[in-house]
Amino acid sequence: MGNAIRYIALDKLTRVLGRLSEILDVWVPTASEEKKRLVRFMPYQAGMIPELVEQSTLGPKGALLPQVESLFRFIYEKDPDDASHKRVELEDPVAPKPTLIFGVRPCDARGFLLFDRVFSAGPHIDGLYGARRDLTLLATLVCLEEDAACFCSSVGGGPADRQGSDLWITPIGDGYVVEALNDRALHVMDLLEEPANELQTAAATKVQQEAAERRVGNLICDQSRSNFLQRFDDLNYWQQMAGQCLSCGICTFVCPTCYCFSITDELKGMRGERIRSWDSCMFYTYTLEASGHNPRPTRLERYRNRIGHKFSYIPEKYEGIIGCCGCGRCIRSCPVSIDIRKVVENLEEKAHACA
Amino acid sequence: MGKTDSPTEKRALTIIGFLCNWCSYGGADTAGVCRFKQPTDLRVIRVPCTGRMDPLFIARALILGADGVLVSGCHPRDCHYAVGNLYARRRLEILKRMLPFMGIHADRFHYTWVSASEGQRWQQVVTEFSEQVGGLGPNPGVTSFHTGNREEL
Amino acid sequence: MNTSILSELKKQAQQAWPELDLLIGWETGYDTLHTTPVFIKDSSEIQRLVWNPFCAQNLAGYLVKSPIVPRGEGSKKIGICVKGCDSRSVVALIQEKLVARDMLFIFGIPCRGVIDLRKLIPNQTGAKILSVRLTDDQVEVEHSKGLQHLAFADVLMRKCKRCRYPDPVIHDVLLGESVLPRIESHELYQDVAAIERLSLQERLAFWQTELDRCLRCYACRNACPLCVCQDRCIAETRDPKWLTQYMNLPEKFMFHFIHALHLAGRCTECGECERVCPMEIPVSLIKEELNKITKELLDFEAGLDLEGVPPLLTFSPAETGI
Repeated sequence: MGNAIRYIALDKLTRVLGRLSEILDVWVPTASEEKKRLVRFMPYQAGMIPELVEQSTLGPKGALLPQVESLFRFIYEKDPDDASHKRVELEDPVAPKPTLIFGVRPCDARGFLLFDRVFSAGPHIDGLYGARRDLTLLATLVCLEEDAACFCSSVGGGPADRQGSDLWITPIGDGYVVEALNDRALHVMDLLEEPANELQTAAATKVQQEAAERRVGNLICDQSRSNFLQRFDDLNYWQQMAGQCLSCGICTFVCPTCYCFSITDELKGMRGERIRSWDSCMFYTYTLEASGHNPRPTRLERYRNRIGHKFSYIPEKYEGIIGCCGCGRCIRSCPVSIDIRKVVENLEEKAHACA
Repeated sequence: MGKTDSPTEKRALTIIGFLCNWCSYGGADTAGVCRFKQPTDLRVIRVPCTGRMDPLFIARALILGADGVLVSGCHPRDCHYAVGNLYARRRLEILKRMLPFMGIHADRFHYTWVSASEGQRWQQVVTEFSEQVGGLGPNPGVTSFHTGNREEL
Repeated sequence: MNTSILSELKKQAQQAWPELDLLIGWETGYDTLHTTPVFIKDSSEIQRLVWNPFCAQNLAGYLVKSPIVPRGEGSKKIGICVKGCDSRSVVALIQEKLVARDMLFIFGIPCRGVIDLRKLIPNQTGAKILSVRLTDDQVEVEHSKGLQHLAFADVLMRKCKRCRYPDPVIHDVLLGESVLPRIESHELYQDVAAIERLSLQERLAFWQTELDRCLRCYACRNACPLCVCQDRCIAETRDPKWLTQYMNLPEKFMFHFIHALHLAGRCTECGECERVCPMEIPVSLIKEELNKITKELLDFEAGLDLEGVPPLLTFSPAETGI
């Protein structure tokens, strides 16, 4: 793998991104000048300066699961011979392009691992997601940042967790050491400036080791599956934990593992499109049935479902993996500062549990 | 569509007219019966009363690119339902003053009162509003903006 | 000063407890910079209450929107902690008969302003805030790369910088001393005036840039104490279908028109919509503009007078000029 380790000096970064964007769609986390706290992944454009220190407010999931995407377009045509008949023609959506997402965090990459299980690991394969995923490379940054909301180590990840990534970026002060983690990534390596020298690789190894030793978060959730089921009917618990929930969609929209979507037909005259768009289990309409009945009528049931889905149903279904990547975005962005860690931690019945 | 670039020939406008069933719709009818010449840009939607007018109807039309919206009902104190237009008056005026804040020209929206017998006045209202909107040119709506870095869906 | 208000609050809450079924206040959140609403159902839990300039959430909305706040006849009162701005929301809810005055026990707290966490940025990249100490007019931030001093006035929420009613306009007990308004009434609409000074094209471009970031997560709507339609909001219903699921500008503009116009003459400028927006869109400006118009046109300010009627729910036959 010797020649598969490259070095990008800080001032060469935009040049590299420019070169990459000639052959693929490149997404980078960017902060807008005046909105310092807001970082989003955006398609790279010349002149953009990636924000690689602060964690993005809105993760990269939109690159693989766009907030809105077309499943197909349709056109109705009246049959000239038979007025009671309409013909319908279908058009395929736009084919995905090779893409590289630069500067994701290990937690973000972990989010995609769950997406892969749900959408492309079978038995039912989502063709659109699968095709896009096959063409996408994740260039992940060793995470040196953590704040009071991070807890990636608690859910199976960690600041140096390479799972799910294709390229591995290590910041070493004056630049970045980039390593290819698999063959998929080799073809972009040549575009990444010069090969890393020994000093640089050694520095990178040191940074990686330090990161690997850090444990971020101290939540224990190996029993969450059964603990949740025991708490399911304890309405008092959900009142205490999520009584303040506003039932907005922030936590689900910023979440790298939330993949729920809605499918709607949007028709205008004789033409239309079937689109898939992000949905949120926090919304009333998410489970609203055609009869008007809603099995999750209040915020409490909806919040309970969010916890249950991530910490009980997903582990149940997918060999114990937790449906949460510990990025802490839902905690940070929550308007009423609900802490998902506290909710999970307290699932376990303790005598006279004091919240 | 027969559009031309010639400045002397006016482009067809899309003006939505919300007319109350009891007065202005009758007024427009009177104007028609009397064969008063009127501009043809107006597409009329009949509403039971201007009190039915949700300001969002107007906002929606202008956001999606209608060149103008005209609302017309019974004269104040003459409402078929006694007070519908008095509620409407407040809502419509607030909307009219708010539109420019969002970047939509206030002259694209006009509300007025025309009774069923005022065919002449109807002719005048429509002609003037059509000229006013024509002077502003086509409404780009809010869609003309592209960040340039995201797929337009 | 905050600590004395807090101990007074706890004392008063303890005293009032026999009358109360529930007390809504703030408690410490996941770190010292965050508070979270707390619903106290037992007097032993009164200790959990906190009061400090991080108590940003407006709790008034829970009175009408929370599934755990009782609204039945015959139950005891609901206690609620309010800042000046929050108290106006309570008044507005009473005006609209969404909640009954005699069901409430209001703990009013004169407020010097709440801190905008977005303005609490360490001056060194990558630094994480560890703790914050507050003095009268200073905020001392200890972060992972050092110590930093900020002026309290510089880190306030925008709504606080234009606060006219720091003292609750309605309360059963008042905790702490009266606070002077931060600005004169003629300065109230300076922020919207700055946008009004732009050309029409520039204003459109401004809103296009801002609203383009909207995710339609509906946090602004759900945090709003006066957005009370909740599950029946026309932004989400498919029949009538006001909005599609597309995430394009017309839909985003339309959603914010819906939100703002439904608040015309009702918005009490608590700024929650702007605070909660994860995309940092200054959505509150639209409502402020509407309030400015309502003030000029109909001389009405929302949430001040219990007997007042929101101006769009009434009319005056004699009014002319509109």
